[in-house]
Amino acid sequence: MSIYLEISENLQKGKAKIVKELVQKAVDDGLPAAQILNEGLISGMTVIGEKFKNNEVYVPEVLIAARAMNMGVQILKPLLIEDGVQSTGKVCLGTVQGDMHDIGKNLVKMMMEGKGIEVVDLGTDVAPETFVNTAIEQNCQIICCSALLTTTMEVMADVVKCAENAGIRDKVKIMVGGAPVTEDFCNKIGADKYTSDAASAADVAVALCR
Amino acid sequence: MTERERFIKALKREPIEGHCPTFELVFFLTLEAIGKIHPSQQRFDQWNQMSKTEQKLHIDYIADCHIEVAEKYYHSAIFVHPNPWGYENIVRLLETIREKSGDKYFLMIHGDPTFEIPNGENMMEFTERMYEDEDGLKAEAQKRLDDRVNLAEKLAKHNGLLDGFALCSDYCFNVNPFFSPSMFSEFIAPYLQKVIKDYRDMGFYSIKHTDGNIMPIIDQIVECKPDALHSLDPQGGVDLAEVKRLYGDRVALCGNVNCGLLQTGTEEEVIADVRRSLRDGMNGWGYVFCTSNCAYTGLPLERYELMNRIWYEEGIYK
Repeated sequence: MSIYLEISENLQKGKAKIVKELVQKAVDDGLPAAQILNEGLISGMTVIGEKFKNNEVYVPEVLIAARAMNMGVQILKPLLIEDGVQSTGKVCLGTVQGDMHDIGKNLVKMMMEGKGIEVVDLGTDVAPETFVNTAIEQNCQIICCSALLTTTMEVMADVVKCAENAGIRDKVKIMVGGAPVTEDFCNKIGADKYTSDAASAADVAVALCR
Repeated sequence: MTERERFIKALKREPIEGHCPTFELVFFLTLEAIGKIHPSQQRFDQWNQMSKTEQKLHIDYIADCHIEVAEKYYHSAIFVHPNPWGYENIVRLLETIREKSGDKYFLMIHGDPTFEIPNGENMMEFTERMYEDEDGLKAEAQKRLDDRVNLAEKLAKHNGLLDGFALCSDYCFNVNPFFSPSMFSEFIAPYLQKVIKDYRDMGFYSIKHTDGNIMPIIDQIVECKPDALHSLDPQGGVDLAEVKRLYGDRVALCGNVNCGLLQTGTEEEVIADVRRSLRDGMNGWGYVFCTSNCAYTGLPLERYELMNRIWYEEGIYK
């Protein structure tokens, strides 16, 4: 079994310590950091993401795999910077103004990071201007808005309008999601993409960043 | 027959005449509906500094708030929100409601010791404990169970005061439960089963609430023998007719009126959804009409009143 496969399989089982050891071994053996990241860590998280999308694993199984991934990434991060490896893309993510729920947002963040995307986490109760200003200042390709409440999801329309007013609508994609959000709602407010789960959100974000 | 008796008959899945019982797990729209601030929106930081007279006035206010909502919308049960929480305050509030409304309403309070979906901040820590500190987590689950049972034992000594508990730990997202079925059977079900059994042994009813898609774990929840399942969330894909077909002979059902539609649907969609819930729920007995969550802050009151009006006109057993 290749060390990449070993990393991937242990990551899927959430074996954080073993993943950390294997990643260190791969680095010590002189394997390229980008390859360890892509063929070991991201490959493992992609399997978990697919299983999550197909309802074959549950949130805790995703979380424990994400923790293992983070352990590996911590070792690779300085090497990736040194090698000038670019992330898959950059997004800013938050739960919209008036809404304090963060579980869905955090899952999306983990899934996106698991795909090699750099995520600027704006937290909860995020004003439309904050999404837009962050996207401008940090060169994000995507704004991701989360809402759990039917009463707060309308703020997503304000984010779209705010991006239009700032003149960045042709440069930045807007993704929406959360329990009450639907494809119809996404279309109605003029956002770009709706996804029903965190793993799909990460897949769509990768496609949009390309 | 009082509203309380009608509610109990629904929980027992026994035939009743007249209206199908209704209530709301929480009716937050009290300020708009009856001009009173909902108990959970009030803060009593200086409670212990207050004189008994002042405390009594606040308790009267909260009791009136609950009763007025129940009267206005023909609720059969009241989910009482003691604020501040604590044995003595719970008793004083329940006694006040009983003094003012007698045995008219079924009274319940929070009573769920089981773990719910952790929030975003502590979900990783909680998950790590499920994998690496199973014994510690189970000891905590047991402690939570013991605390709830101890409180129930004290309340059970007040004959005729409290009727039951709403067990409100949420387990599910729209797509799936947070806990896998095997995690649920290890960390939740044993404690849920025990608390419901202990409540029943003390003469209390148990209504188990959770939002979201409960279908992967519904067998386990029903096996814990609650008197009723609450919310039956259509936004989580829960089909009332199907749940009724599969489990209607073992557990009463409450809810299923789509909260999302109440907020964002057209009037026609809301009316159709209310009629669907009434049709599927009232088929046979053992149904309590209500929303698939609660009348939450921000819900337009007129939408709740529309739902309530359709129920009043059409939610009648023939």
